[in-house]
Amino acid sequence: MENQLKNLQTAALKALEGIKDEKSLKDLEVQYLGRKGKLTEILRGLKNLPDEKKPMMGQLSNKTKATLEEALAQKLTALAKGKLEKELSGEFFDTTIPGTAREIGHIHPLCQVQEEVERIFYQMGFAIADGPEVESEYYNFEGLNISKDHPARDMQDTFFIANKEHKDSSHRAGGHGRMVLRTHTSPVQVRMLEKYGAPTRVIIPGRVFRNEATDASHEHTFNQVEGLLIDKDISMGHLKGVMAEFLTRLFGKPVKVRFRPGYFPFVEPGLELDFSCLLCEGTGKKEDCPCRVCKKTGWVEFMGAGMTHEKVLEAGGVDPKKYQGWAFGFGLTRLTMMRHGITDIRLLASGDLRFSRQF
Amino acid sequence: MQISLSWLKDFVDISKNLDPKILAEELTLKTAEVEQVINEGDDFANMVTGKVVELKKHPDADKLKIATVDIGEKKPVQIVCGGANLENDMYVAITKPGSYVRWHGQGDLVEVKKIKIRGIESTGMIAASSEIGLNNPDEGPEDILNLAPEKPAPGTPMAEFLEKSDIIFEFDNKALTHRPDLWGHYGIAREVAAITNKKLKPYKPKVAIPQKGEEIKAEILDHEYCPRFCALIINNVKVEESPVWLKRRLKNTGHGTHNNIVDVTNYVMTELGHPMHAFDKSLIDGGFIIRPAKKGEILTTLDGKKRELTSEMVVVADHKNAIGLGGIMGGQSSEIKAETTSVILEAANWHPSRLRRTAAKLNIRTDAVQRFEKALDPNLAETAILKAAELILQLCPNAQIGGPMTDIKDPKRPEIFKPYPRTIELDTQKAASKIGIDISPEEMIEILEKLGFKAQGSDEYDIAVHDFQRFLKVQVPSHRATKDITIEDDLIEEIARIYGYENIPADLPSLPIRLPMDNTERFKKHRLRELLSYGLGFDEVMNYSFYSKSDFEKCLIDEEGHLKIENYLSEDQTHLRTTMSPNLLKNAQLNAHNFDNFKLYEIGHTYKEIGQYFPLEEKRVTGIIVKKGKTDSVFYEAKGVLEAIFDKFNLKHIKFTKGVKNKTYAHPIKAISAIDQNAQTIGLCFTLHPLVAKNYDLENYSIAIFSVNLTEAFKIETDFRKFTPIPKFPNIIIDISVLIDGTTEIETIQKTILDADKELIAGTMLFDIYEGEKIEKGKKAVAFSITLQAQDRTLTDEEMTTAQNKIFKNLESLGGTIRGR
Repeated sequence: MENQLKNLQTAALKALEGIKDEKSLKDLEVQYLGRKGKLTEILRGLKNLPDEKKPMMGQLSNKTKATLEEALAQKLTALAKGKLEKELSGEFFDTTIPGTAREIGHIHPLCQVQEEVERIFYQMGFAIADGPEVESEYYNFEGLNISKDHPARDMQDTFFIANKEHKDSSHRAGGHGRMVLRTHTSPVQVRMLEKYGAPTRVIIPGRVFRNEATDASHEHTFNQVEGLLIDKDISMGHLKGVMAEFLTRLFGKPVKVRFRPGYFPFVEPGLELDFSCLLCEGTGKKEDCPCRVCKKTGWVEFMGAGMTHEKVLEAGGVDPKKYQGWAFGFGLTRLTMMRHGITDIRLLASGDLRFSRQF
Repeated sequence: MQISLSWLKDFVDISKNLDPKILAEELTLKTAEVEQVINEGDDFANMVTGKVVELKKHPDADKLKIATVDIGEKKPVQIVCGGANLENDMYVAITKPGSYVRWHGQGDLVEVKKIKIRGIESTGMIAASSEIGLNNPDEGPEDILNLAPEKPAPGTPMAEFLEKSDIIFEFDNKALTHRPDLWGHYGIAREVAAITNKKLKPYKPKVAIPQKGEEIKAEILDHEYCPRFCALIINNVKVEESPVWLKRRLKNTGHGTHNNIVDVTNYVMTELGHPMHAFDKSLIDGGFIIRPAKKGEILTTLDGKKRELTSEMVVVADHKNAIGLGGIMGGQSSEIKAETTSVILEAANWHPSRLRRTAAKLNIRTDAVQRFEKALDPNLAETAILKAAELILQLCPNAQIGGPMTDIKDPKRPEIFKPYPRTIELDTQKAASKIGIDISPEEMIEILEKLGFKAQGSDEYDIAVHDFQRFLKVQVPSHRATKDITIEDDLIEEIARIYGYENIPADLPSLPIRLPMDNTERFKKHRLRELLSYGLGFDEVMNYSFYSKSDFEKCLIDEEGHLKIENYLSEDQTHLRTTMSPNLLKNAQLNAHNFDNFKLYEIGHTYKEIGQYFPLEEKRVTGIIVKKGKTDSVFYEAKGVLEAIFDKFNLKHIKFTKGVKNKTYAHPIKAISAIDQNAQTIGLCFTLHPLVAKNYDLENYSIAIFSVNLTEAFKIETDFRKFTPIPKFPNIIIDISVLIDGTTEIETIQKTILDADKELIAGTMLFDIYEGEKIEKGKKAVAFSITLQAQDRTLTDEEMTTAQNKIFKNLESLGGTIRGR
């Protein structure tokens, strides 16, 4: 009898493997476990066994029954799942229809780049400062050691405000001179030093104005970023280091910088700073380095900089014998155009959504 | 400015092995930017001299010949040529394949190729002079260039044969603005010598000036304008064309040529960097007076233009008339002519900014102005005269110097005429600290002396550093002392650039950790952009700070309170904006061509005249919502933006009040202001006034504008949000719809509901307003979702019914009818 039960279980499990649908499963169940099924048949023989064997055989037959019931139930779940999956797969579903459009607007590309620039310098411990766009001749020129005769003070370069004038622009007794639209962000250098003194670490992004005719590469309104680091023992080497670090982070690949002599009245020594062409990595030799990026020199002209002139420190009330440092100013507008390959500067202020929605 | 390499070699040895491009790069990195290196010989690339060794007739063309030409290579080449003067043994110019020529001297440059002419192979071309950019007047129209007079060895490169071997460095003039010493070859040679470690040859004109004889009188009435005036008479000159070498140098450096005397003055300017002038002596009456111009005085300058002068200008005059604008341009009356036999050379020093002002006023921009405005070394005036005299004596063998040189110096400023007018103390440690690399005092002295400075250690022993050399006494030569080098930092620049900026290591400063000052306003502006663009679907634009009278008049704004641009660029950019809206409306007008619905904003400054020197400059955000068709929803959308801003930036105690002040372009009643605790307006929103919409052709659109004064708003105190415990007991939500008079405001209804049970009603939310055919005219149906909540228990049905009845009662007393009751 023990063997009968064992054989029955083996046969039933084997039969179960071949079952493909619920109906055959039901039939199998009846065949083995039904009232007239094979198991019942075997159990009929139980009464013929000696009494001492009966409990053991009873247990064994119950176990066989439970095993078969469990296997049948599992098969049933598997068949149901298989059927559902077949149904689901049979439906047509188009995954190529575009995702639901969300009403998400756009931040102006200039502001996107500006935020990135601010973030990098902020991480290096630079504060972010602001200054007025309508500025006095004193702050825009005199305070920056730009003398009255300097060509930059001609009407061709600077916008003047009508009927706004202090006779004296020397700042003694509060004289401010004529009123201008700031031609650079540099006046904020003096304002920052006046307000916070040294040491100071600050960048000043902002809008500036030049009285020049506009075309695809010239604008009367554009954005600059001014930088100022005044402390003890600050060197030109530090300027190289900070700018290389900044550009490397901004562009996401190693960037080198180099100096050339330059002249700006508010710095001495005065420098022009170039960075290594991102395409040819400063070699200028790669054939595919396009001339319009680095003119095959391997370097891209980037900004004016230099050691802050002692007169500027003095104008800001800082003792040039105790403190020294540098300043720089680069064109945020140009950087934005370079980054996105914008070929006409005038688009930036066009207000045309066909432009601004691209970024 | 154009600088000739061969001219530089007069003053400094430049190795043949030094690639001019590398020298240019060095100059760019250490002195001033060289924009271009032009090789004169480039035009004659692949051209050589040749000798015809055999000549045959072309079998199929009458006018053509087949020439076999020795061009210095192993085998002679065969060239088909139609030159009328072509003959055996002739010396000719060969343009080999790969060279560029102008066919018959006309049209664009064309590349020469190996071709077959009527079946006969031809390797290159025998050139006519006009085809290779030369001009030989003896050559007939069908002729080729005949080199018989020179008989050059076949195969000599044409560039070499023509001595077209000069290299021209083109400097960026802007890079020279602060360097008066770099406006001539000698100054550049000084830099080259310092950079390449070579000796600069001294500049010593070889000419003897007689002690006695004819001397021109000069008087200076304005020494500030003219610190020094030198003049010299030369008699027996013969005015004629300059020799080839002189003309070539002037041409190569971008100058025209006139006659030997004028050319010499230009030559000296180009060499020494100091402009000068030559007068015809016979046309000068008496002597020179440097005096202020008379008001309205007329002077005809060399360019033939009549100039009306003002009393601030200074002229060079003789005893009768003004004869020149000193340092700017000579006068026509005394110019050198073919028949001139005696000349007066003049070289003077002029006040840079006063001269610049005069030139700017008269709109004259000459080589002389360009140089004098940089503040030239007054000692160069004398040198220039001596050099010019030397050259004229060389060109005109019969010429004689009339007598002693006239030389008048400002007696009040003897120091500026010294060879070293200034001494600056240099702290070498400070210099090294600023440059960022240890450069020894000895190296600094070496660099400075290469540039013409004198430098030596001070006598004082510095105990702190045990070093005699820490402080250097540096004497500044006159060619750098006028303006350029005045302070210690100027010397540091000299040391750093010649030492080599490339040798300064990039280094991050090790500064103490100091948290940067927090510019919360800046950061909040970026967060605001994210809220508006990424949260609320607005697009950011940036407009100019300008607009025009017609722009603000379209918005019914008057001119008062505006700042006007004195020298505006165009008629539509004459005023500074006092408000952002007019430019945004222009954007709306533009974009309406392409889009039906859109939302824009701008963050920027506005500028208002407030009767003080500085205007009130405020930062604002202004946005505009544009929808095609007629709907009031734009107003509520704009209001929703304000609410979102105040909520997200956690601005406390802001309330809305009806209407907006002083906004001519706002709808009279569809407008609200947001005010802070001090009743100051922080923001506003409104529907655009229909008249203004019409002015922008936007009458078929619904337009609402919101604006927040960020300067003020971001000053408002914020604090961290306080946590409220999440209710432990369930709430009950009841929906109530009430039919009420159409003019009853929602705020009143909401307040009436809240008043019904202040304890249990936790909130009301409006979810529908209906006005229309289904209900009585003049009435509206308003539906609210009301939340009942107790903190300490689950509400019973009874409590809910009681609260609901109280609400009904209150609404009924307001004149409402509860619907569905």
